[in-house]
Amino acid sequence: MSATPNGTPANGNGAAGGYKWHNKYPHLGTGPVPADVFTSQEQFELERERIFKKVWLNVGRVERIPNPGDYFVQDLAVCNTSVIVVRGKDGAVHAFHNMCSHRGNKIAWDQGGTCQNFTCKFHGWSYGLDGKLKFVPDEESFFDLKKETLGLTRVAVGVWEGFIFINVDPNPTETLQEYLGDLATGLEGYPFGEFSTTSTSWTSEVNANWKVIKDAFQEVYHIAFLHKRSIPDSFTSKDNPYAHSLDVTLYPRHGSMSLFGSADYKPSPVAKLAAQHGEIVIRSDFSADGLPAGVNPLRSEAWSLDLNVIFPAFFVDVSQGSYFTHQFMPIGVDKTLWTSTQYYTKATTPGRRFSQEYGNVIFRDIIMEDGRTFEETQSMLSSGAKKEFYLHDEEILVRHSHHVIDQMLTGQPVDRAFAANGKEAASHA
Amino acid sequence: MPEARLPEQFRDLEQWIGWSLETEGERSDRRQASAMEDITAFYEAMLARMEEVLPYLEQFSLEELPDDAKRLFYLTLSLAEVAPAVEQFGQPSVVDGYDIKRFVASHR
Ligand code: FES
Ligand SMILES: [Fe+2]
Repeated sequence: MSATPNGTPANGNGAAGGYKWHNKYPHLGTGPVPADVFTSQEQFELERERIFKKVWLNVGRVERIPNPGDYFVQDLAVCNTSVIVVRGKDGAVHAFHNMCSHRGNKIAWDQGGTCQNFTCKFHGWSYGLDGKLKFVPDEESFFDLKKETLGLTRVAVGVWEGFIFINVDPNPTETLQEYLGDLATGLEGYPFGEFSTTSTSWTSEVNANWKVIKDAFQEVYHIAFLHKRSIPDSFTSKDNPYAHSLDVTLYPRHGSMSLFGSADYKPSPVAKLAAQHGEIVIRSDFSADGLPAGVNPLRSEAWSLDLNVIFPAFFVDVSQGSYFTHQFMPIGVDKTLWTSTQYYTKATTPGRRFSQEYGNVIFRDIIMEDGRTFEETQSMLSSGAKKEFYLHDEEILVRHSHHVIDQMLTGQPVDRAFAANGKEAASHA
Repeated sequence: MPEARLPEQFRDLEQWIGWSLETEGERSDRRQASAMEDITAFYEAMLARMEEVLPYLEQFSLEELPDDAKRLFYLTLSLAEVAPAVEQFGQPSVVDGYDIKRFVASHR
């Protein structure tokens, strides 16, 4: 059982409102956020140069390339490149710009596969899995070719708990571990590997700014309204009608929010069948037994799941028996490749598989409700009719995210001191 | 009489065999293309038998389902597919939802 049962919504000022998260992180202020950050081409170009080309970006999981020679291609329009991610003969994961050293042709034109060498389709130059240039057709007619200097251009790559991250900065200022920081430490030991033996993933090219999509997934103020049909009583209750969260932890760039789950949740007939045979994402009787300290950090009995927002555009949202991710890859200021993936332990029995399929369908239908808002919002943002937006205390991850982006774009150092203070405040709470 | 495609004790579900579909894409397409009364009739027929269907299927591992049991199993996955249409939305598609045709599935 939980060490410190906490059956009530943590935001004790509940229906009366209150500034619980602002009080925990006052440095973020209470002012509105500007509206043009979602539509400004100039802003987007700065985000490209000062954020996406500088930080660690998730590109997938290791299960996608289990064996030497397995590779996938990640197009990164926002970094003006495409990257090959490959499992080397050494068993390690390597990443390269997907570009030939001869005259620049894109090496892999597909989305992935298995190979021994990467051979350019243009004039046949061939590279090993380690990126080294191995073969040049009719080499004798070249002039002073130094093959050892003409390998594929490396992209920094790191793996954390099976998640592959790349950084296109030729000299990253931080290691992946440093970048992920305390957020990662708190999640280590979560059975990501065990839960990732099968996955269901949806991708869509959305005509909206990446932050419009991100912001919709980093607050639950909308649950009682946008999701009133799909999840009418999972995250809300009579005592917590607006889905006030249990806890919020901010890091210098990342942020986490621990979500309330209602004990009054009444499963539908099919949800009940699914629950008999395995995991479904939304239920109210989770404990956190065996889970690391960063999961359900309050050890609340009224917990559903945690949002973990890894800056700039990757979410690892963890629950008791499965987890899901959101990834937003900007293509242009008003175009984004949105991918949501739900991970499970591969079922061996029909009942378990049925249960997973139900979780899968419910998840898909819920994010389709979220998805509708993206283009509807973007289409109005471009009107310029509103100059700024007002955020609720529960929208603190949105506020934090915009604050961090603003700091990075204006060349200020990212706030760090508050993270220690926040921890302090939490331990005295 | 056409050859029976489901295990003997579930022959009453034969009329729903069109819902026995292997992939999420096929099941979703059928949900989106069906009239709500057909979806509801299928849902109710399946739900009424699930207390027997699931224990029956559980005798087998997922890898070793005989063909007739596999067809029955795919019916249960279609029940999962249509459940939100009946239980949450009251219509085949997500109310005020994103265009499902623009969702590209890649399941591993
Ligand atoms: S561009 Fe690749 S071999 Fe010429
Ligand atoms: Fe949502």
